[in-house]
Amino acid sequence: MQYSQKVLDHFMKPHNLGKLENANAEATEGSPACGDQVSIWLQVNDETQIIEDIGFLSYGCASNIATASIITDMAKGKTIDEAKALSWKEAAEELDGLPPVKMHCSVLAVDTLRKAIKNYELSHKLITEDKAGLSKERVLAELATILYPKVGEDLISLKMVKYVGVDENGIVTVDIDLPKFDQFRGNIADEVKEHLEKLPDVKEVHVNL
Amino acid sequence: MKPIYMNNCITSQPAPEVVDAMLPYLREKFQFPENFIKTGTERANELSIFKEIIAESINAQPAGLHFTSSGTEANNLAIKGYLSANAHRGNHIICSVVDYPDILTNAAYFEESGFEVTYLRCDEYAFIDLDELQEELRADTILVMTTLANHTVGTLQDVKTISQLIRDSASEAALFVDACQAYGRYAIDVEEMGIDMMSISAHKIHGPQGIGALYIRSGISIAPTKHGVNRIDPLSTGGLSIANIAGFAKAVELAFSDFDENVKYIRELSRYLCESIERKIPYTMLNGAPCEYRVAHNVNISFDFIEGEAIMMMLDQYDINVATGSACFSEGLQANYIMMAMGRNHEQSHSSMKFTLSRYNTRAEVDYVVEKLTEIVAELRRRSPLYLDFLEKNK
Repeated sequence: MQYSQKVLDHFMKPHNLGKLENANAEATEGSPACGDQVSIWLQVNDETQIIEDIGFLSYGCASNIATASIITDMAKGKTIDEAKALSWKEAAEELDGLPPVKMHCSVLAVDTLRKAIKNYELSHKLITEDKAGLSKERVLAELATILYPKVGEDLISLKMVKYVGVDENGIVTVDIDLPKFDQFRGNIADEVKEHLEKLPDVKEVHVNL
Repeated sequence: MKPIYMNNCITSQPAPEVVDAMLPYLREKFQFPENFIKTGTERANELSIFKEIIAESINAQPAGLHFTSSGTEANNLAIKGYLSANAHRGNHIICSVVDYPDILTNAAYFEESGFEVTYLRCDEYAFIDLDELQEELRADTILVMTTLANHTVGTLQDVKTISQLIRDSASEAALFVDACQAYGRYAIDVEEMGIDMMSISAHKIHGPQGIGALYIRSGISIAPTKHGVNRIDPLSTGGLSIANIAGFAKAVELAFSDFDENVKYIRELSRYLCESIERKIPYTMLNGAPCEYRVAHNVNISFDFIEGEAIMMMLDQYDINVATGSACFSEGLQANYIMMAMGRNHEQSHSSMKFTLSRYNTRAEVDYVVEKLTEIVAELRRRSPLYLDFLEKNK
């Protein structure tokens, strides 16, 4: 397994590095406990809704820094609607690929960008706060953002989620099909818990592997 | 600057003398030991000399030394071979949460097949809890396993006290020690330390890859774990590389001919690396026991606010090879279990860097590594949102 030259170039000399002092939106995603956190600052033109400037900081591995660098490059000069449509697969392709075990870095970079845009839209009353409560659909949508590191595809596409239960007390139960000696068992259990515990109205998450 | 290798806990560069000692066995002296015929008896005689050299380095009888193809194979032969020969004597085994994966995966395997396993706790330095060991030893405990030098933080377990505790208890357990990290860098006397079985490996001490050995005290019964033709050793059937054994013996000669000086050199270099980092880089923390209680070549340090894989990848751009405890570099994307067992938090685990030195490293190399590390840590902190938060909170 190795990094492409483009990943190493963005890692060693990242673009758009640093906090923007005149930003009108920002977001931070990830967590130090998981070993990756990205902050993105946006300066959006309120008339054209074009992202005129963008900056990031990253606590994370080489591919975490490289994916934040490339996604900020890709978003710069685009309207917020265009930027929202950028996918983690496109970002990974732009870096000439990522090892499967590192694909989740690209997901985090794109999530952070989307969250910053959403924060802009909320503060500028372009959208209203999502009031939808907890539902099975919401849980499935969240699970579709978690990758199985061995192949770098999400749990839903890989049909690894065998059961999702949501009860009225906010208890979420997820059954995931994983081989007994899979090296990523611990990682998947932690990731699923961490993602689902952030959803509104969730009280408890049970992950059965 | 030529590439700098500070990852000797994984594997180490074969000594030139080792390669020279192996070459005749890769060319004309390739035969296996055999009876009666000339080349066969020559190989048999040489093999017994190699065995003596290695056995002497741990104060063991040559007959107690059994070659294997690696340290891991030696560990498996010890654990599986001993438990299958002694299962009738009891059902309880003891190891600790900070043991090497070979021990822990074997323990899990035997737990699955019905053995009861006690995993001893450790303290913040990765020393195992000896009071707990004393309490857990019982009449049906048949095996106690420990790792002499911890592979992550270098902490040396007090094996002599462990064997004394076993002898003083109701248990007749055998003591198995994985000494692969400690061997050649820490004086080991199997008699004085009361060790019943011990694994060692050649490639960690500038010998060739593909050869290790298990010491078994006379009187300990072990069942073979590989069944097949008896070429060199009934406990490790099949052919073993005579060239590798020759290289192993040469590596042992080199490590032990001037053992105290050798270890002192590595220890002082490690201390110099540790002190240079502490002097030049703020917000760092040494992981594991203080210098005098850890194996000579291990320095493990966490760098706050940044992540270890990034540090490792930047050092790699300068051809400096080190290791990290970061989840991003681990097999299962999980925080390092040794760091977590010592009570470190996830961030301290992810930012931990492991430097393992050898007699081939120099002060000039250490200076260069610390210089590059200082630049890299400053650069990665400049990029880190955690460092920005820290600065803003402490304005």
